[in-house]
Amino acid sequence: MAEQVAGLAPELAGERALVSELVGDQAGPWDLAGELPAGLLRKLGAHGVLCAEVPAAYGGLGAASRPSGELTAHAGSLCSSLRSIMTSQGMAAWTIQRLGDREQRRRYLADLTSGQLAAVAFSEPGAGSDLSALQTRTSPAGDSVVLDGEKMWVTGARYADLLVVLARHGDGAAFAVVPASAPGVRLEPVADPVGCRAAGHSHVRLDQVTLPASSVLGGGGQSLPLLFTTALSYGRISVAWGCVGIIRACLAAAVRHARRREQSGRPIAQHQLVARHLAELLTAEQVSTRVCEHASRCWQDTSPDMVMAAVLAKHVSAGHAARSASTAVQVLASAGAQDGHVVARAYRDAKLMEIIEGSNEICQLLLAQHALTTAGPG
Amino acid sequence: MTTGQAITPVTAEAVTAEAVSEALTAFLAERIKTEVAPDQDLFASGLASSMFAMQLVVHLEETYDIAIIGPELKLDNFRTVQAMTALVLRLRDG
Repeated sequence: MAEQVAGLAPELAGERALVSELVGDQAGPWDLAGELPAGLLRKLGAHGVLCAEVPAAYGGLGAASRPSGELTAHAGSLCSSLRSIMTSQGMAAWTIQRLGDREQRRRYLADLTSGQLAAVAFSEPGAGSDLSALQTRTSPAGDSVVLDGEKMWVTGARYADLLVVLARHGDGAAFAVVPASAPGVRLEPVADPVGCRAAGHSHVRLDQVTLPASSVLGGGGQSLPLLFTTALSYGRISVAWGCVGIIRACLAAAVRHARRREQSGRPIAQHQLVARHLAELLTAEQVSTRVCEHASRCWQDTSPDMVMAAVLAKHVSAGHAARSASTAVQVLASAGAQDGHVVARAYRDAKLMEIIEGSNEICQLLLAQHALTTAGPG
Repeated sequence: MTTGQAITPVTAEAVTAEAVSEALTAFLAERIKTEVAPDQDLFASGLASSMFAMQLVVHLEETYDIAIIGPELKLDNFRTVQAMTALVLRLRDG
């Protein structure tokens, strides 16, 4: 699908082909089974595909934001569960790269580009967007820290070797890198999630988990909202590109069906009300791609605008993905109304995209706040 | 990495407290359309949010070729023009 998009950058073409080859026609069955093959994730991880922006000096592909985004969109067009794993792994890698000291970057980024899998744990039973309610905490204990808390809906946790956990730390906050195998870590899979069913969402309990102090990125003590925004900015761009993939899959499926399916003696594409659906799908694909390209450009330029560009890209693309998936199911009607079908998956997966990495409402609050801040007084 | 559109490279001799403070005041005036005093609390006065603080982090790192990491990533360092100026000078010395 993404291979047919005009003007697609040649960078990472081999990686996109590898994703196509490994996913094949299995995304539907994975969705129904609620599980991805762990061996496939490790293989993609070892090729650096799950966090393509890790610099070459740390063993990564060193991709720029836009080709990495197109790779993410390609995975998203095939399987949003796999794309969710890419978002988690990429967000973990970015967080380590941005906040870790030299030794931590070297050690953990080598792990994440050689087949180890990572997940990032933010949300808690009482703390989603309201960071002030965050309860998970580190306590110093000599050369160690002890981590206690409970995290919810951690994407990819079921497959993860490393959990990157946001916690209170002294007067500030920190990300701690926790081996999933550490004593005191317990995972409880989220049963039957509405979307991205094979993405391995789990609740994570951390009960007196003792870690070397060197597991705390950059020594900790940073501002909680700054840490949150740092990690989420990558996640938002990644989800936004993933939504572009969902929209591309919906557009392709709807066009294919509307050409072939005949009613009243002509293909349904020639029925005006169906043609309008196709126009809306194309519009959604183009608008979402442009807003993602803008966010990636801001990111690549390390422009201060990247923070809000990421929020905008996520909000616009998630909304378009949800509407496009609904439209595509409408066009395909009974042909796409069965679980496992690409548009049926898109319908459920896209709804989740309006919730994660900042819900529609939180994104709108941030955009409104930005409008107020940048308008000046009076 | 391509160069940012609004970012002017800063030479070593230009990084005095006065120059940093002036440049930051100008950056804030452009971004939030407000002339702020050097000791004005941007967060308490509602002029800026933690999202904007992240933009300040990116701006300072790019403009002054510094890495703001570890415990330096605390809101107090971005609360006022004075605090940010002190941060820039400290990290450039370090």
